[in-house]
This record gives sequence, structure tokens and C-alpha cells, in this order.
Amino acid sequence: MQSAAQLRELLGGYASEVERCIRCGFCNSVCPTSNIPQAYMGSRTSRGRLVILQSIITGSREIEFSNKLLDLIDLCFGCRRCLEVCPAGIPIPQIMWSVRSAASKMGLPHASWMLRSFVKNYDKLASLASRFPGLANTLTRSKLGRVLAERLLGIDKKVELPAYIPLRHESSINSQQRLAYFGDVFGLYHEGNVVSGLFSLLERLGYGVEVPRGQRQAGIPLLELGLLDEARATARRNVEILSGYVERGYKILTTSPAAYLALKQDYPKLLDDTNARKVAENTIDAVQLLNELVKRGELELDGGGREVVYHSSCFSQATSLSGAIVGLLNNAGFKVVGTTPRCCGVAGMWGLLREHYETAKQVGSALFNELRDAETIVSQSETCRLWMRSILGKEILHPVEAILKYCKA
Amino acid sequence: MRYKKVSGEDLENLRRIVGEDYVSTDEDELAANAIDAFPGEFHMPEAVVWPGNAHEVARVLAYANENRIPVTIRAAGTSLSGCVPLYGGIVLNITRMNRVKEIAERDMLAVVEPGVIYERLNEQLSRYGLFFPPDPGSAVACTVGGMVANNASGMRAVKYGVTRDYVLALEMALPSGKLVKLGARVFKTSIGPDLTRLMVGSEGALGVFTEITLRLRPLPRKMVTALALFDKVTDATDAVYEIVRTGLDPAAIEFLSRKTIQAVTQFRDLNIPDADALLIIELHGRDEHVLEHMRDVERILERHGAFHIKSAEEEGERKRIWEARKGAYPSLLRISPSPLTGDIIVPISKITDMVAKSYEIAERYGVDMGMVGHIGDGNVHHTWFADRREPGSWERASKANEEIVRYAIELGGAASAEHGIGIEKKKFMRLQHGEAYELMLQLKRLFDPNNILNPGIMFDLEDVMAVELP
Repeated sequence: MQSAAQLRELLGGYASEVERCIRCGFCNSVCPTSNIPQAYMGSRTSRGRLVILQSIITGSREIEFSNKLLDLIDLCFGCRRCLEVCPAGIPIPQIMWSVRSAASKMGLPHASWMLRSFVKNYDKLASLASRFPGLANTLTRSKLGRVLAERLLGIDKKVELPAYIPLRHESSINSQQRLAYFGDVFGLYHEGNVVSGLFSLLERLGYGVEVPRGQRQAGIPLLELGLLDEARATARRNVEILSGYVERGYKILTTSPAAYLALKQDYPKLLDDTNARKVAENTIDAVQLLNELVKRGELELDGGGREVVYHSSCFSQATSLSGAIVGLLNNAGFKVVGTTPRCCGVAGMWGLLREHYETAKQVGSALFNELRDAETIVSQSETCRLWMRSILGKEILHPVEAILKYCKA
Repeated sequence: MRYKKVSGEDLENLRRIVGEDYVSTDEDELAANAIDAFPGEFHMPEAVVWPGNAHEVARVLAYANENRIPVTIRAAGTSLSGCVPLYGGIVLNITRMNRVKEIAERDMLAVVEPGVIYERLNEQLSRYGLFFPPDPGSAVACTVGGMVANNASGMRAVKYGVTRDYVLALEMALPSGKLVKLGARVFKTSIGPDLTRLMVGSEGALGVFTEITLRLRPLPRKMVTALALFDKVTDATDAVYEIVRTGLDPAAIEFLSRKTIQAVTQFRDLNIPDADALLIIELHGRDEHVLEHMRDVERILERHGAFHIKSAEEEGERKRIWEARKGAYPSLLRISPSPLTGDIIVPISKITDMVAKSYEIAERYGVDMGMVGHIGDGNVHHTWFADRREPGSWERASKANEEIVRYAIELGGAASAEHGIGIEKKKFMRLQHGEAYELMLQLKRLFDPNNILNPGIMFDLEDVMAVELP
């Protein structure tokens, strides 16, 4: 029974959160993994994971904490949809991260050393690769690159790795309306072209945009792998940098729902300090800002009635940014002919890993059928776009990208 | 009663019936099937079996019956009364049987497998402008099979009735391994004893549903919702009597007591002034009628002293009103980590007495309590605050609840209106039914002579064993 007591201790306050679960099963109704063929099994569902933890924590059965149990916990990929429907307000994804962290401390690491090191340092690697994008892109597109990614990191070799397109930007701070950009890895190293297009548009409207130096990745994959200490350190570093900007009257600008989610919800909880809360209060996403500008008549956009289908990613829903996105697309002259909240299955890095690749495709299958005939698809999440692009063989655009590409401004 | 333990040979035979992947003895899977939404203990089964069709269900039952292995039937596991494998054995889990087999638009009926989730079914039916109305609180998660087994209902019962009113026909597997068909694809028959209705609410004691034929209703064209606040709960109940009896045909009349209103105000972004009672009234129908009827409702509410009335037609505003009701239980949960939830019903003329008695009991036991309920039909859910980690807390709440249940029965009401008996309320069966309880036990013996189905659920096992067949 030693491992139950140990688990309870390592989970700290989350152990009593596990006990508070009333097992109503509402989380199953929104959990993307309810789409996998094995979901007829209770242990493969969201509620099942909580019930299994309850059975251990309450001492209802004697069980050794094992890799087999971790494989079940691993099915939660942190989409956070359950948070919207849980009547008891149980922080389900956070519990799962804590279990992974506890497992690691009990000598059962959740992921390989190589993958953990990669996730911890991905922003540094991406920064380095972005200095030689030609070389880096040749490697990631090559068969060798993919085989290496699979062998070393466990990323399935069928995954099309994202190209390196670094953000190149000269700061323009001679303005009253100042923005400091917090990009996470995609904004800074993979989709720099879209972000710099956004900056040009904002600068024409009188905004000054700066990209704070030394900022690190947002760190949500660290949380999901249970690397909580590392996630906290990353959060502290980012809050230190960004709160300095907030002090000087800047608003913090994001384009990634993961970056927005980290600043708005995760950092204040992880750090529980005033600066993190200040940063959260002063963070705005580009879709919110553009929508405000359009509504105030300061920006006119004409999408010419182009029909778009909007995919509301898990994080766009968790941050409530979807409302602003649909508003922006409509106000920008697009015709939103469909909005789908279905999960694509990738969940950040989760579906890219070889062990999850096929399950992720099963989770997303209903969405893929829905989107198969759509012409212009918009989604805010970077990994959802990467994943759907590779499965559907179609261009999937960030809302800002759709505006830059199709609107007359 | 001695049951046989599930052996390796049994597992092999069960796998032969349902297929290799659909029998599990995995520890984690057993735990996931050992408890439901009733705040009880874990009761581990020895195996979980997932049949894929009616014939497999029948064959599993026949095998278990022959070998005296207990079978506990499980669907979504959302029971608030406890349907768990008290005696181990097999959990027969019907979640794989989740097809909507037919939607007959002209006949306004649907034929479904028992594992279909209620809300998923209504999503499909909405494309035809139809729906299956009972709407239990667990609509997003519960299955139609579980609803039929418990005669579930919810907020719309006052207009649309309960699950029993919609079950036209059933196919079910009996412990003998026989598959029988009950009822017909029509909504009235005069063809002898109505075994279909007997099965609704039988909580898996008599057989396992394998196919359910449901009567449907057209989706209402218009809905209007009103919220009203009262300084005195008796004024609110007086308003309820009048709304119900004046032919205004409300689709819902919901009630929140003072404690519940306070919880909702605290934990939801709702600004509700302090009040002794809150009512939500909803009307469904065609445009002109509904609006006219709502004006009548408002007049009644005013006449009975409501100090605040707000009505809404627009969907967003209506949702906002419903937030107060839908947020009630979640908000109470924030205050009380492991509350005991009641499900009594009284004749509506006795609601005032019942409410007064509830407050008296709560004070006497020193237990906080919030009420919320479908007051239009006399069904009120008490949430008795308890914390299982605190010694004595759960016991106090149980005793308080037991008193109000006895009082409800005394008033001519019932121990459970929609949650079912399960393991929790079987202690009230004799009090509720008197002599008729013996008949029920005989019926159980007749259908399930070896007592393999859901043992200890709804009927106490000792009571079943003690009864003599006539």
C-alpha cells in the first residue's frame, strides 16, 4: 500500500480534488478520447481515470503505481474541455499533470529522457535552427530528419514537421499604444511571416510593437508531461520579463491560444503572485484587438464574402477566444458558413508521438469528415493547423493569416 | 445465498460468447465498474463483459444463470442511488449497444439500443423536429436503457410526463436466456396485462433491455421562461398550485430554496436578491398562445406576492434564467463536498407542509440543507450538507433525509420520484409498498429464480430469499 500513501503525498492538494469527484460522467460527454474505439471501457474514459485514482487514494484497493496505470492517465491530453462541464469544478487536467509529475518522482518517468530534454529546450533549439532556416528546413523535410525525430524523440515519421520561418522585426516603440509580443515557439520561429504581417498592420494603425528579448516558450507541453518544476521556472522567467513591460504601460499581445492560455490562466495558478496576475490582466490576443479595432471603425477589412469554416480548437474554447474569432471573421467580411467545436485529436505534441498517432487520428476522424469539403478553413491553434494540414492535405489558416491573405485593408 | 466465483473456465466461455476483446479482468477496469454516481463504497466485480447484441446478452445471462454467477447491469454508471456489483460476479456493461436503429418520422417513434446516450439521441431526433422529452439532469451522460430501468425524468415532467409515458415496446433478455418482445409500435393497446409498463422502473431486477421503442413528440416551436422571487416560500407554493390548475400547461416549474439561492449567487455570476424562494416557469407551444399564457402566469405570480418577476423569449436571456437552476447543484457542491441528495415527491397540495417539515428536520439535526426541485409535480431534491471526511457528518445527513422520506410517504408521496431505489433506498421498500412488497418479491423470484440479476439492488437479497412463491 506504500505507493498509495506516496501518491497521496506527492499529489498534495490534488488528492482531495480527486476525492471530490462525484463520478457524474459529464466529463466523458466532452472528452475527445470518448471517440476512440476502446472508449466502451470505463478505464479509457475521463471519469474512469478519476475513479481509478479515487480507488487508489481512498485505499479501496491495493495497487502498485505502474506504467500500465500511467498509460491510462496518458490518454488525457489536456484539452481542458472537461473544465467547462464538471459540476464540481474539479481541475481534471491539472490532476493528470500532477500524477505524471508524481510518477516521475516515484521513479516512473512519463516520457523518455530525450523527449523531456527536447520539450524543456525546444525554444532554444528552434531559436538556433531559425538562424539557419534553409539548412534546418532541408533537414526537417528530409527522410533522415523524420527518421531521426522518430528514433530520438518518438515523433511519428508520418508527421510533417513545421518549417522554420523566424520572426524578424525591428521594434517600433515611438507610439502611445505599446504592445509587447509573447509569441511561444510557433509565433517566434515557425510562423514569423504571419506575425510580422500582423505587426505591419498594427503599426499602420499607430501601434508600436516590441518583441521582448529573452522570453521563453509558453511551456504548456511541460505541464502536460508533468514537468511542473520546469514549467514553473519557465513561467517565472516569462512573468519577470513581461511584468516589466506591463509596468511601463505595455499590453502583452499573443497570437497563439496556448500562449494566451498560459498567461491568462496557468501562470497565475502556477506562481500565485501579483506580477503573474498583472500580466494576465494586461494580456490581449490579436484576434480580440483586431475585432475591437474593426468594431470601433478604426480598421476596415473586406473579405469579399469569402466562405470560411471555423474550427474552434480546444484551447480557443478554453480561453473563450472563439467568440472573438467568429466575430472578427464576420466583421472582416467573411461568411462563416460553419463552426465546429470537434477536437482534431493532436492536442499539442500528444498526437504527433508515434505511440498516439493512430489514436489521435481516430479522435479526429469525425472532424476530418466534417471538413473534407470545406474550401477555406480557419483555426487558431498552431498544432491543430499543422495536424489537419497533414491529414486533410489542405491549407488551414490562422484567423490573422486569413485576414492578411484575403482581406482588402 | 452462495454465488459461484468467476473462474478461468468461465472467462473462456464468456469470451466465446462476446469475443476476446469484450471480457476484462483488468484491475483498473474492474475499479472503473465498481462504483457509480452514488456516494458509496467500491464493490469490485470479478469480470466486466461487453455484449454487442441482444443474442449475446441472452447467452451471457443463460450462462450466468446456469452457473449461479451474479450479474450486475451497467450502462453509463450515472445512478445516484447505487447500482453496483455488491456480490462481485460479472458486470454486464451495455455501452457497446448504442445504435439508434430506426427513426420512424410518420409514426413518431424511435427504436434504439439501450446504450444510446440520451442527449445524442435527441441530437439526431432534432433533425426531424422531434424529441424524447424526459430530460433528466444527467442528460449529457445517461443512457436510454438506464432511464427506462429507473423511469427517469426531469424538469419537463410536469407537461410531458416521465420515461414510462414514452416506452411503447421492449425487447428484453431474461435470466433463462430467452429473448421476449413486449408491447407494440403503437401508443395505445388493449391486449392484456401491460408487461412493458411493468418493466419500466424495474431497475434490472427482472431482465435486461436489448431494444427500446420510444414514442416521440414534436419539438416545441416557442419557449418562454420566467423567474420570480418570493419573500415567503408559502406564497411561492400557492402560486404553483394556481399555475398548475388553471390550464396554463407549464413545461417546467422549478424551485430553489433560500440556501440554494445563496449558493448560486455566491458561485455563479448571478446577481439574485436574497429571497425565501425562487421559481422558474417555462411554457412551450405556438407563438401567440405561449405569450398570452405567460402574461397570465405573471399575473398569478404578482397576485401571490412575487417581489421580482422577469420573463424572457430570447434564447440567451432564457439561458441566463436557467443558469440559476442549472448552477444550483454545482454551487451546493462547492459548499458541501459530499452531499446526500434526496428525491422525494409529495402530492402538490402537500408541498407547503413538506417544506416546513424539511426546515424543522434540518434544524433538529443541525444539518444545513438546500432544496431544489421540480415543484410543479411535487418532486423536491434535498441536498443535505455532509462531508464524509468528518466523523458523524454523513450519518446525521442520512438520518435527516430518512425522516423526510418517511414524512413524504406518510403524506401519500414516494421515497423516490426519478432517481430509483438502487442500494440506497431499498430500506424504504416495505414502508412504501406495504403488502405489495411481497408481491414484488414473488415477481422477482418468478423472473429470476436463481437471483443472479442485480442482487441486492432495489430488493434486499435476504427479503428475496425469504419469500415463498404462491
